[in-house]
Amino acid sequence: MDFNLTRQHEMLRDTVHQFADSELAPRALELDEKGDFPFDIVKKCGEMGLVGIMTPKEYGGTDMGHLARMIAIEEISRVYPPLGFFFQTGHLGHWSVQTYGTEEQKKKYLPSLCKGEKIMFDAITEASGGSDPAAAQTTAKLEGDEFVVNGRKVFITLPGAADFGCILARMDDKFSEILVEKGTPGFEVVRREKIAGFRTTPVNELVFTNCHVPKSNLLGQEGRGLAIALTTVAVIGRTGVAGIGLGIARGCYEAALNFAKERKLYGKSISELQAIQFALVDMNVEIEATRWLSYYAAWQIDQGKGLREIGADIARAKLLGCDLANRVAPEAVQLMGGYGVTAEYHVTRRLNDALQLFPAAGTQEIMKLTIGRSILA
Amino acid sequence: MALNIIVCIKQVPDPEHYSKVTLDPVTKTIRREGIPAVINPVDKNALEEGFSIRDSYSGKIAVLTMGPPQARRALEEALAMGADEAVLLCDRAFAEADTLATAYSLACAVRTMGHFDLILCGNETADSGTSQVGPQLAQFLGISCVSNVKEITFEEEMSLVAKQSLEGGYMKVRLRLPALITVRKEINKPRLATAFGIIEAAEKEIKEWCCKDVEVDSNCIGSAGSPTKVLEPIELPRRKGEIMTGSPEEAVKKAIEKVRELGGLT
Repeated sequence: MDFNLTRQHEMLRDTVHQFADSELAPRALELDEKGDFPFDIVKKCGEMGLVGIMTPKEYGGTDMGHLARMIAIEEISRVYPPLGFFFQTGHLGHWSVQTYGTEEQKKKYLPSLCKGEKIMFDAITEASGGSDPAAAQTTAKLEGDEFVVNGRKVFITLPGAADFGCILARMDDKFSEILVEKGTPGFEVVRREKIAGFRTTPVNELVFTNCHVPKSNLLGQEGRGLAIALTTVAVIGRTGVAGIGLGIARGCYEAALNFAKERKLYGKSISELQAIQFALVDMNVEIEATRWLSYYAAWQIDQGKGLREIGADIARAKLLGCDLANRVAPEAVQLMGGYGVTAEYHVTRRLNDALQLFPAAGTQEIMKLTIGRSILA
Repeated sequence: MALNIIVCIKQVPDPEHYSKVTLDPVTKTIRREGIPAVINPVDKNALEEGFSIRDSYSGKIAVLTMGPPQARRALEEALAMGADEAVLLCDRAFAEADTLATAYSLACAVRTMGHFDLILCGNETADSGTSQVGPQLAQFLGISCVSNVKEITFEEEMSLVAKQSLEGGYMKVRLRLPALITVRKEINKPRLATAFGIIEAAEKEIKEWCCKDVEVDSNCIGSAGSPTKVLEPIELPRRKGEIMTGSPEEAVKKAIEKVRELGGLT
């Protein structure tokens, strides 16, 4: 048993840490205030090999794996969680293409995704509920060499900034995943939700009205769409949330720790008060525990283990990562008193971001169902 | 013009953790346990300058360090930033070297590395700050040297102009290669390692040389070759400020009295 990170993982952590401090921290407040998608930062992440971190080298990636991805998302989210959310959601479609796509699709889409030049969304959820994807009503009918897509998708992250995406569509009694490019007649991004956190990552509603796409845009086997979508959400979405949760918690904990060292009350630093020490210790211990559980889940994916074997471990990581962020962020606000709720201390923006982790990649209740099925099997 | 550039780096305790630094009362050296080791910050500027020159004129960057086995980590990072090859000079015989013995040992390694056009160093290290090793290395190699440089420009083949920072100004020095330049922090902004660089670094070799691999006079290396010794580290009193309160007139009066009290006015 070896708990050491590889030297590559260590160097990746260091460089993403420095990148986040130097490039993201100075812009975090401004980015959140404006709410515009940070295309330039994503491009920079592409140049650094971070967007293609789990993509094979032949398609422009660095192929460092899922643990490396989690480390990068954690370090980015420690400073600017909306960018972590871009990695979490953008990688859904990205991974679907590299895992289930044809050679032609991989060559067409992956290199520009890895460079951060193109952005992809993954559309599953409909008004019928994200927890019940089999109730989705969007349809795709094969007419000659084209699919004709009709339907509506809600709470889809990234379409407002993306160039193309994959959608889950019903074909009679089965589902298929279909790639759709922006600008295709009949495909509209109709609104952007006003959400609490992740201010720069657009969450949109999509409408498809007799939208014709080539048959060659089928992603994976016809009729296997639901399995592809759910596997992708589990493997990529949930580990991504775990990384974001870790990052948010670390960012809040570090802010609270620094504050406690500097803030003086009753003539001494408040870090000398046991009540403050205990609060910081609780945060620290929970972060460390969640980190190792989450790393274990990602590491197992890198070992080639299948979702059937490690689905519960991934669900545990999502469950704990989300809870961690939503416990540590309010605790940091509490510790920092009035300063905690000011924008300058960067905790409330992280608290808002943390809230978005509850529904992302499956609710906490769905995680418990997954874990429950595993332990009661 | 393809240039062979050698960049000398040193692994130092992370300056961000200097509040944790203590001195060993016996050896008078820094206790490094529990403090992360990093590439000396201004050495990253030297690396960046090397990359920038290589990007403009082609060539290759070899990075050299002397240190314990764990100094390999600094070389790995330099390779991930974009260096082409790396040499670790590592032997217990090199230990406890002062600046002169360090420069001598590095000079022997540089000669073993073969042809070079330019050597770049950081102006000083964060942990000892003597600024001596670069110029001493140039002296041992018998090449031109300019220290404290904030800008390098190439004017013609194998000739460069180094803008040396001086108190209250600067001096431009034109020199022919081979030469050694020590750089200041403001010369550039060092690039970060990328994920591409990290995976490429794994393919690059780090040569590890002991004192037998470089032709050294054993009397000139390590403790034996060090004419200077640390006798006693002294902690300097911290500078402190004092704010004079009251109306501007009162505050100025108090300030003048304070300066007079400290012997600044007679």
